[in-house]
Amino acid sequence: MTDYYEVVTAYPEGSSTVSRYAKTAAEYGYDGIVVRTREADYDQEAIAKTYDIDVVTGIEIAATNPDSISGSIGNFRADCTLLLVQGGTNASNRYAVEQDRVDVLTRPMAGDGDFNHVLARAATTHGVRIEFDFGPVLRETGGKRVQALRDLRKLRELVEYYGTPYVVSASPTSHLHLRAPRELVAVGEQIGFSADQIERGLAEWGRLAERNRQRADDSFVEPGVRRGRYDEQSPESKREDTK
Amino acid sequence: MKHLPKHIRPRWRYLAVGIESTPDAEIDRGAFQRELWYAAGNLLGDPGSADTDLTVYSFAFEAGAGEAIIRVRRGETDRARAAVACVSAVDGEPVGVVVRGISGTVRACEERYLGDRTGDFEQRHVVFTEATRQAVSRDDAVEVSLPSGFVSATELDFE
Repeated sequence: MTDYYEVVTAYPEGSSTVSRYAKTAAEYGYDGIVVRTREADYDQEAIAKTYDIDVVTGIEIAATNPDSISGSIGNFRADCTLLLVQGGTNASNRYAVEQDRVDVLTRPMAGDGDFNHVLARAATTHGVRIEFDFGPVLRETGGKRVQALRDLRKLRELVEYYGTPYVVSASPTSHLHLRAPRELVAVGEQIGFSADQIERGLAEWGRLAERNRQRADDSFVEPGVRRGRYDEQSPESKREDTK
Repeated sequence: MKHLPKHIRPRWRYLAVGIESTPDAEIDRGAFQRELWYAAGNLLGDPGSADTDLTVYSFAFEAGAGEAIIRVRRGETDRARAAVACVSAVDGEPVGVVVRGISGTVRACEERYLGDRTGDFEQRHVVFTEATRQAVSRDDAVEVSLPSGFVSATELDFE
């Protein structure tokens, strides 16, 4: 069973608090939420205990020029589990996909932003996830929605061709914008995604959070060097078993 | 007109849909049905919209929360689910919608997924962002009234 995660914009940027998102998301069948608002004030453990849902600390950097993005990455990387960079201009998209320290490039097609084969390749190399933003598909109408759909298709074709890692989100700014995972799968299927793609995109948030938590764990002495005993999962002991 | 013989009647599925909105929203059946058809028309096109049918069968909405039963043709439930997900506002009021379940009869749908009637709001004052604010609460959900509009919180935010 896959664990579904949604990434939310909480108060003061959004109009719902983290706990309210957690309440609704738990009702809708999510296993976790990622908070992308840095200023949000919440008690992670109390929320996790009350609503039985994983709350992941994320920070979304919303700067347009590479210099200030670079500064923010340095400032915030250690403070959060997931570091997101908001795309939307060619400069910020380009910079974000070339940073190993960035986890996710969000809404790359918003505003003047665009995506191409160079960025897709760079994102694959540096392991930066590209976000498929379903917000406009769910909440816009007319021309804006058509443009959003066109952009999603372009992004999807590039991501599929270059095997770029990706995440899926409805980018809610209020708990009323949340949609259940099955609903997102249904919408995705209507606009050309496969059910499997959407499910993997929603689960990828959780997988990333898990990976980063493990890396930030105290048992790591330095990157790649971990304190601990060989346990049953280590290759050596496995070899013993098979003899 | 004489009704169709049983073997040739269309088969239906009924979606149990939960609806949530702001505390002062007033949504009626007609408005919800209209938005649903708009959403279906925009997402699925006219042929898709006609195929799914999407008729609001029963509708109840009171004090910011409600539920509805939507009739769809059997075999079109995935498309119907997608259309329902695209309803984002009714009469300008933002709404959250969720498909709670799907049944083959209205009765099963009601019994299994609907009917947990929500109570009324309770008026109170809370301390939020270092000021006392008007708020309404129900169960552990609290809607705080700020000059910029409602902020949705829970009891956990005031402990």
